[in-house]
Amino acid sequence: MLLDLSEEHKEHLAFLPQVDSSVVAEFGRIAVEFLRRGSNPKIYDGAARKLNVSSDTVQHGVEGLTYLLTESSKLMISELDFQDSVFVLGFSEELNKLLLQLYLDNRKEIRTILSELAPDLPSYHSLEWRLDVQLASRSLRQQIKPSVTIKLHLNQNGDHSTQVLQTDPATLVHLVQQLEQALEEMKTNHCRRVVRNIK
Amino acid sequence: MELSEFVQKGFQLLADPGSFDSNAFTLLLRAAFQSLLDAQADEAVLDHPDLKHIDPVVLKHCHAAAATYILEAGKQRADKSTLSTYLEDCKFDRERIELFCTEYQNNKNSLEILLGSIGRSLPHIIDVSWRLEYQIKTSQLHKMYRPAYLVTLNIENTDSQSHPEISFSCNMEQLQDLVGKLKDASKSLERATQL
Repeated sequence: MLLDLSEEHKEHLAFLPQVDSSVVAEFGRIAVEFLRRGSNPKIYDGAARKLNVSSDTVQHGVEGLTYLLTESSKLMISELDFQDSVFVLGFSEELNKLLLQLYLDNRKEIRTILSELAPDLPSYHSLEWRLDVQLASRSLRQQIKPSVTIKLHLNQNGDHSTQVLQTDPATLVHLVQQLEQALEEMKTNHCRRVVRNIK
Repeated sequence: MELSEFVQKGFQLLADPGSFDSNAFTLLLRAAFQSLLDAQADEAVLDHPDLKHIDPVVLKHCHAAAATYILEAGKQRADKSTLSTYLEDCKFDRERIELFCTEYQNNKNSLEILLGSIGRSLPHIIDVSWRLEYQIKTSQLHKMYRPAYLVTLNIENTDSQSHPEISFSCNMEQLQDLVGKLKDASKSLERATQL
């Protein structure tokens, strides 16, 4: 599958052959950093001054590169397809190789970052547990009531939340049973067939 | 057991064969237990023909006194001798003491279950359901191809009115971690009960 690059996008990327390959590599590094942490416009100003061009040009160049990398990573296009897509830009052999390397080196991380953008449910982080025995309460003395207290740590959109819950021994055994069945399910023929055939 | 004058007076009335004959005594006693333990019980519990001849104020006083005493005894897990001592102090005769103790013994388990269920505790997990899915793509990421679980814990709050749920997603490793930890807790519990 080839990438479809718009005219505007191609214009922005046209800046890249005009600078040193070390500068392109630097732009690549900045692009990935911006994906990790968010963009920082001050960097554009510094680079613009050093290269003697407008800040906008630098910004477009970096953004064009970012979009190239994220689209390629999202679609998980093959090396060959990437090379063919970039070929239409008419860059030098050296620049093409540099861009391909940039893609391959950063693809995994970019995909991880993109996966965080999907509609999100709280996801499991970890669990702590504690055994308790209730000995008495205001309404009844001399009890022996075992229970398990659980602290469930969840993540959602970067926020960490915790829930403190309790359960009794019988329910605990039931929970373990049910969830073990859930794990077993992945090993069944049905699931294996689906995983094998959907690629 | 520390009980108020109200309870004491009520019991003294109850002890008097002049106010309550044997039959009325038994009926009132049963009514007291019924009010406490039967979820459907209401004021009609005292509406028995054999109790009609007794002054309603006296009837209510004794009923309340008996119920208060029963709850206190249940809370403190009073044994037969503690019960007998107090009833003797209230001038109950042997026969009535026996009757009371027998009736108490018959209802002791239900009473303790009721008292044990009152109180605050953390949200309580009552069930779990799960869903296994195979993720193919999202709007941001194509060609994902990985299994994921959605786990929902059913919770009961102490007021038994609300039944919220906690749902979360996890991958295989995370679910294995979760199950592993729950199994540890389960094994520790087993070991603790064998000590």
